[in-house]
Amino acid sequence: MTDITRRAALGVAGLGALAALTAGFPRLSGLDIPGRHGNELRVALNGTQQQAAQQAALVKTFEAEHPDIKVVMIPIQATDWGQFFAKILTMVAAGTPPDVVNVATEGAQLFANKLAEPLDSYVQRPADRAAMQDYFSDVHPSLIESFMFKGSLYQLPSNFNAANIFLSNAALHKAGHDYPPDDWTKDDFLAMLRAIKKTSPGAVPFYWTNRMWGGVTPWLYINNTSILHETKSPAGAAEKWLWNGFYRGVAAARGRSGGPLWLHAQATIDPVEETFELLREMVRDGLSSSPASGGGGALVPQFASGRVATTTAGGYWVDGLHQAGVKNDQYDVQFMPKWKSQSHQFGASGWSMMRSSPRKEQAWAWLKFCSTRRGMFLSAPTPTTTPCRRSLCAAKVEIDGVTHPYYAAEGPKHWRVFYETLDRFPGTGPFTAPPSEPAIELALDKNTINAVTGNSRQLRAALRSLQGDLTRALETTS
Amino acid sequence: MTDLTATRTASPTRAPSRKDRSEDDAITLRRREKRLAAIFLAPTVIGLGLFVVIPIIASVVLAFFRWDVISSPKWAGLDNFNSLFTDPTLRSAFVNTIFFVVATVILQLSVALGLAVLVQSRMPRWLQSTLRSVFFFPIILSAASVSIIMSYLFNQQFGLVNTYLHDLGFGSIPWFTNGFSAQVMIILIYVWQNFGFTFLLFLGGLAGIPRDVYEASAIDGAKGWRQFVHITLPLLSPTTLVASVMAIISALQIFDQPYVITQGGPGNSTETVVMVIYQDAFGQLQFGTASAIGVLLTIVIMLVTALQFRLSRRFVYYS
Repeated sequence: MTDITRRAALGVAGLGALAALTAGFPRLSGLDIPGRHGNELRVALNGTQQQAAQQAALVKTFEAEHPDIKVVMIPIQATDWGQFFAKILTMVAAGTPPDVVNVATEGAQLFANKLAEPLDSYVQRPADRAAMQDYFSDVHPSLIESFMFKGSLYQLPSNFNAANIFLSNAALHKAGHDYPPDDWTKDDFLAMLRAIKKTSPGAVPFYWTNRMWGGVTPWLYINNTSILHETKSPAGAAEKWLWNGFYRGVAAARGRSGGPLWLHAQATIDPVEETFELLREMVRDGLSSSPASGGGGALVPQFASGRVATTTAGGYWVDGLHQAGVKNDQYDVQFMPKWKSQSHQFGASGWSMMRSSPRKEQAWAWLKFCSTRRGMFLSAPTPTTTPCRRSLCAAKVEIDGVTHPYYAAEGPKHWRVFYETLDRFPGTGPFTAPPSEPAIELALDKNTINAVTGNSRQLRAALRSLQGDLTRALETTS
Repeated sequence: MTDLTATRTASPTRAPSRKDRSEDDAITLRRREKRLAAIFLAPTVIGLGLFVVIPIIASVVLAFFRWDVISSPKWAGLDNFNSLFTDPTLRSAFVNTIFFVVATVILQLSVALGLAVLVQSRMPRWLQSTLRSVFFFPIILSAASVSIIMSYLFNQQFGLVNTYLHDLGFGSIPWFTNGFSAQVMIILIYVWQNFGFTFLLFLGGLAGIPRDVYEASAIDGAKGWRQFVHITLPLLSPTTLVASVMAIISALQIFDQPYVITQGGPGNSTETVVMVIYQDAFGQLQFGTASAIGVLLTIVIMLVTALQFRLSRRFVYYS
């Protein structure tokens, strides 16, 4: 056996370290950050590497149409939109911001306020007029209005999810109830829950998640109220080019504004208290679960196994249930019941062009492509969400002469509810998402549990605490 | 070097004596040692400078500015610090953090010491090493993963724990949806995950106590509890000091468990100071205020640590 001297061992170790340093230099120096030194269009989306890979068809088709543009998809993994935006901000701080970001309602105003490029001049370009007219004609104006901020348009929304009620057919039938009518009321809903509680003792009659989308908010909306007072920005120039331009003659576009504004908290007003009281009573009477934090994903197996009879969810759930083995006839979907109104809340998302991008023309080409029928379909070829184009929200979708089954392949019997939520109820709008949305959502989540799990006195104390938290959140970003 | 050159030029013809040569050798050796020391220390010093010193200085400077990452920083003077004293969220976060620190440190030290004494006592060697691994195991797990699993296990509606309790005839316990029980659960989860390190410290400390001290005390009639109180605890006090300093510093920075499990709720019951820093920075884009809270927390940690060392003069037995 050869003796290895200490000096030789140190030399070998040193050489090894040098080789590792050389090999890792691109990583250590940040040279390998996608698009940092190239001219690729950097597109960030909230999702995993796998989800980014699912956009391969979209990217490939775009690059085939635009051979001069190379797209780099940057998946950013985050537990919620707040964390996603925090990571985008870190990229901004590091000097490597993406060119285009997929932004949901949660971050729409934060981006519009600080990071996004207004699209007003782009959509009005004569060369793009026909394409834009085709897009606006196919998209409900309330979705467009939700992405307007202080009179300017910041995104072309591509998908949305309104909070509807998903119903387990087995639990309903066991309770002696049929599919409810469109204009059912809050009391009809409560009666159904009571019947389910009696006939399915092991099941949770109504399950809800403690979060902004689909938590308390849908109940506040049907009670014609909200935790933040909503006003509208004047439409300004958009009155002419958008509402009386692209949307000329469309009844649903009449009276639309330059975007919602949420400037004051109103968590202690009577209608808000009344709404929380309803949920508190539902929890107390065992009609509803005690709200747990988290997204809808964790709930799929519970609904699939019949442990949850009803819940609030949106079109995004269809594919999730299908993947979990739930058959189309095992469940159905209906509007939220009527209380003082039947206005729904929705959340939407679309692509936003970064103000800092040096590749704005390429970014606009991407936005435009994603707003086409083909682009929008390629980004979600199965019902993982509700497409913003009405023509794609169909049993079968025809793209480039090929017919694809959409809701015909997977989806509940009343899938039309998803888009009709916008058509049937003019008051339907985005959930409260001012520029300080992450702080607003956190305040709501933290105080909701206290509000609905104690007595009436605790409820009022929780709402006072919520009011304080909301006021501070709005003040600090105003 | 200058002295040596001067000596050589002053007497160019004189042959170097043995003394001169040995002085030369000593100087060369010292220089080589200094160079080697510098080379070996360089990576640590550079790393510390880049990743500790510069960020600390930057965050202290940032505490005097208003900055949202997107626009340029604006001078704010002491505004960020002044706002801390009127912020009720921060006040309650400090109260929660102090509660967490007191509870976790007491529990962590007691559990770790108790188990260390147990493992050190007469038991088969294989069992000792198995228990050492078992008790240390949780610390190598990711805090976020543990928190996610715990939140599933203790989910009020569908959690495994409540399911079994239900089968045994108990009602559904709101582990994380009641302010007090959420605090207790966060403390227990934190202690479960972190006591392993303190346990190892105590094992080392116990191994260092000479057996003859126990034997001598046994001859004098002291056994069991009296030996523990009058021999083990005093001789273990240096280890206890180190363990408690580390436990307090770590507990003052508690974040992962409440962030993942409760997000600071219900209400503000599990909101900690580091959560407020995170929320101010990334939720509200107030990096200046967040830095000011960070500076304040650092000062608190330094004061607490200094106080512990000061008190240690009275309570720690070194010889």
